[in-house]
Amino acid sequence: MQEEEIIAGLRARDRKTTEYLYEKYSRALFAVISRIISDQDIAEEVFHDAFIKITRKIDSYEESKGRLYTWMANICRNSAIDKLRSKEISQTTKTNTIDDFVFGLESQSGTMEQVEGIGVRELMNQLNEDQRFIIEYIYFQGYTHSELSEEFDIPLGTVKSRVRAALQVLKKNIERI
Amino acid sequence: MNIQEYIESGKLELFLLGELTEREREEVIAMAKAHPQIQEELEALEQSMFAFDELTGKVPSTQVKEKIFASLENEFKKEEAPKVTSAPSLAPVESKVVKITPWKPFAVAASLVAVLASAAAIYFAGKFYETDQKFTALLQDQQVMADNLNQVKLEYEETDSRLDRLVAGDFRRVEMIGETLSMQKDAKVDVFWDQKAQEVFVAVNNLNSLSAEFDYQLWAIGKDGPVGIGLVNAGEKFTLQQMQAVAEAGAFAITIEPKGGSKAPTLEKLVVLGEVA
Repeated sequence: MQEEEIIAGLRARDRKTTEYLYEKYSRALFAVISRIISDQDIAEEVFHDAFIKITRKIDSYEESKGRLYTWMANICRNSAIDKLRSKEISQTTKTNTIDDFVFGLESQSGTMEQVEGIGVRELMNQLNEDQRFIIEYIYFQGYTHSELSEEFDIPLGTVKSRVRAALQVLKKNIERI
Repeated sequence: MNIQEYIESGKLELFLLGELTEREREEVIAMAKAHPQIQEELEALEQSMFAFDELTGKVPSTQVKEKIFASLENEFKKEEAPKVTSAPSLAPVESKVVKITPWKPFAVAASLVAVLASAAAIYFAGKFYETDQKFTALLQDQQVMADNLNQVKLEYEETDSRLDRLVAGDFRRVEMIGETLSMQKDAKVDVFWDQKAQEVFVAVNNLNSLSAEFDYQLWAIGKDGPVGIGLVNAGEKFTLQQMQAVAEAGAFAITIEPKGGSKAPTLEKLVVLGEVA
């Protein structure tokens, strides 16, 4: 199903398209959330709300302003960050790290995902310390680049270029896996 | 601005992470539109982000999926008429299970029927007997009534024939009274006598009843002396009692005689006497 078809189907409130969307993107979108929120139940709660939000806000989605996955991932990411900053989750639980996440994947999941988990560990090992740091805070702890800049006293431009560099490494290596 | 520099500024990544301001976002969009190279890079970055997310993520639990679709259920457009109209459900074929005939329930049912039938038979037999008895009694009653009717009819016919004779014949009435005699002062008996037909009837008006050993005897007194012409029943009052034929008599009299009557009257026991006028 092409992206245009998916969008049209969602706008028509078509059940099959919604199911297709779920099958194709739920894993990735849930990853966006559960990277930031370590508690499985809360992460699923956030994912539930975010997915419904996606189907309801599809009319306000503008194709010209970005691709569908980016739009959906941003909704999930923002929902997770909002949840993380809400009263329900104290800052102290903000302890997700790449290692925790990878370990979690390895210990909680089935064989197939364990294999993938190993892949992620290998992927992370391709990053240098700075890149790894950036990915951990931005991807796994829900920091914005400006927050990261302020909190760790890293110039904004440096944050940006490190994000760029980290993603380039990931991009290159994902193609390899 | 150099395109390569722009790509490497990190703005595209932050765009994808949704961390740009609205103004910066529009700038990125405009740049991507103007420069296919930027657009390409943007799409490639998104693709790798999705791939990364896909790779690091795990599938949310099925409960979440169910919950999501339950929440969305009312928002889905009703699906177009389902392609496969469900075939009319066939009437469930009743599986014919041949059971081994359970004899016990049948035996119980049969006994019950037998008992009920017997009870009914006894009841109706009783009813029949009762009815039969009533019927017999009615038959007997009817017989009695028929007998009575016959008797009344006979009596009527007899009376009727006597009346006919009395009316048709030329009868003289002879009053016999006991006024002048000592036996029964108030005794009174009438004699009706058809001299031509030689027929005599008596009708008791008043006559005392006698003991079983005695009878009243009627006498016709003519030239040849008194002749006994029959016994008079004192009980039959005001009916005509036929006596023996008399051709010639000057007077009639009744005496009390021994049972069966006498050849000659016992004059001491003369009860009533009447002369033919």
